[in-house]
Amino acid sequence: MKRKVHLYSYWLIVPALLIFGIFFVFPSVYGVYYSFTDWTIGKDSISFVGLKNYISILESSELKLAIYNTFLYAIVVVIGKNVNGLLLALAVNTDLKLKGYFRVIFFLPCVISTIIIGLVFVPILHPNGILNVFLGKIGLGFLQQSWLVDRKIVMFSIAAVSIWQWTGYHMVVYLAGLQGISTSYYDAAKIDGASALQRFRYITFPMLAPAFNINMLLSMIGGLKVFSEPYALTNGGPGNASQVIALEVFSKFGRGQWGLGTALNVTLTIFVSIICVPVLYNMRKREVEE
Amino acid sequence: MSKQKMKRNLGKLFLELALFLLSLVIIVPLLIMLFGAFKNSTEVTAFDLALPEKWLFENFLVVFEKGKILRTFANSIFITAVSTAITITVSSLASFVLARRGTKLSRFLYYFFFIGTIIPMQIMPTIRLFSRLNIYGGYLNVIILYTAINIPFSCFLYTGFIKGIPRILDESAFIEGASTLQTFFYIIFPLLKSCNITVLILLFTGIWNEINIPLYFLNNPTKRTLPLSVYQFFGMYGGSNWNLVFADLVIAALPIIILFLLMQKEFISGLTEGAVKG
Repeated sequence: MKRKVHLYSYWLIVPALLIFGIFFVFPSVYGVYYSFTDWTIGKDSISFVGLKNYISILESSELKLAIYNTFLYAIVVVIGKNVNGLLLALAVNTDLKLKGYFRVIFFLPCVISTIIIGLVFVPILHPNGILNVFLGKIGLGFLQQSWLVDRKIVMFSIAAVSIWQWTGYHMVVYLAGLQGISTSYYDAAKIDGASALQRFRYITFPMLAPAFNINMLLSMIGGLKVFSEPYALTNGGPGNASQVIALEVFSKFGRGQWGLGTALNVTLTIFVSIICVPVLYNMRKREVEE
Repeated sequence: MSKQKMKRNLGKLFLELALFLLSLVIIVPLLIMLFGAFKNSTEVTAFDLALPEKWLFENFLVVFEKGKILRTFANSIFITAVSTAITITVSSLASFVLARRGTKLSRFLYYFFFIGTIIPMQIMPTIRLFSRLNIYGGYLNVIILYTAINIPFSCFLYTGFIKGIPRILDESAFIEGASTLQTFFYIIFPLLKSCNITVLILLFTGIWNEINIPLYFLNNPTKRTLPLSVYQFFGMYGGSNWNLVFADLVIAALPIIILFLLMQKEFISGLTEGAVKG
């Protein structure tokens, strides 16, 4: 009997599957094993040490600070990018003359490499930099800060640069959501006498849920995986005040503490999965229900 | 009525003005970089918006020479173009099957790929794998990695898009005697045009701007990419010659800014459509 050739042969998946499986999934799985070992530079053999690396993460104040900073940063950028992005989208979504200009200018920073943006802001945020000079000139001298030098605010300064860069991106996603809402809803609500605030609360807000979810998810993943911003702006300084998990992985790599570095990397994966997978699962489920 | 209308127009004008001032927040830092690139090394240290006293174009010559810009530029183009081409080819092929087959296996594979859109890569085990294969440190391992990490999201976009193409098209081609690959390349691939542009822009910008992978996986200075060279250039000149650093930043940022300004629509929809579709 002649074997039937299937039109949608699984062979077409094989190249993608092999590349993804061998070079992404395999090291990810193997990484879990390495995180339980004393894998170090110059050591001939790798031996199993149980939870030792994870315990040293919990015992190191530097690494605990990096984990704390990562979460702090993620929360600040999620709020900053979404609040600003939504407000901008609502403002730009009215029929302004310069609408096209605003869209392009606000979007512009996100096509530029984060490293470049970070380096541009190094002198701007310098204690004698233009930001402080400007604040002094307009009579807001009391707001002047040592943006990248003060341990208490350095993480917020770094987050602000990221918000500066990405707000326009989230604005466009919200704009797409806003434009998907049919005006007939608003017309009907107006006839029923709903106020502008009520219209936002009962029409705009629920209809924006998909855009809101995706913006939250993207900014959250980006926030937790953050590397380039602190790498360019402070390289973890002053001292270790702006260390984040991905930067610590890099420094452990440089020092040859590969087992420990991998344990940190696995920790990051666990954080990202715990926070993002449920959100994603919910979004998928809702999509199916629709 | 007319009073109300005037009030509304005034409000709109005010909004327009406020947004314009806000847009300066984006423009000013970029102008500081641009003007600074033409200043001399003392003038630049004011880091302000003043125009350069004298426009020193020779700063760029120094950067081209010291920063080895042409070489790093070529490296970036090469790595980005090859990774993007391979990713588009293998992802669109795989998605053709993922979108058309309704089996348990295909759904499992879809979610298997999907994991890759969220979780971070494991760096040191990957380095070890490449070392074992004797390709660590060069172009090849970077290209393979960019392909591997970008397959998931590309597949996700292609699968969604192909689902919207009527199945009858490929079935009739198949009945006419076309092979699977012929069906894909002659019937489906041409219909993927708008999705291809989305994925192309997404991959191109992402890879072009990325620094993590070159940082870990390129150990030869002659093979480094633009973002990496920019950071190293800052390390060398950030203390004394910010004018040169700015010139370097301008050269590194300019190509993609020009591309963006030429194809705003494609860029904006390309970079956000993926998110919106998700």
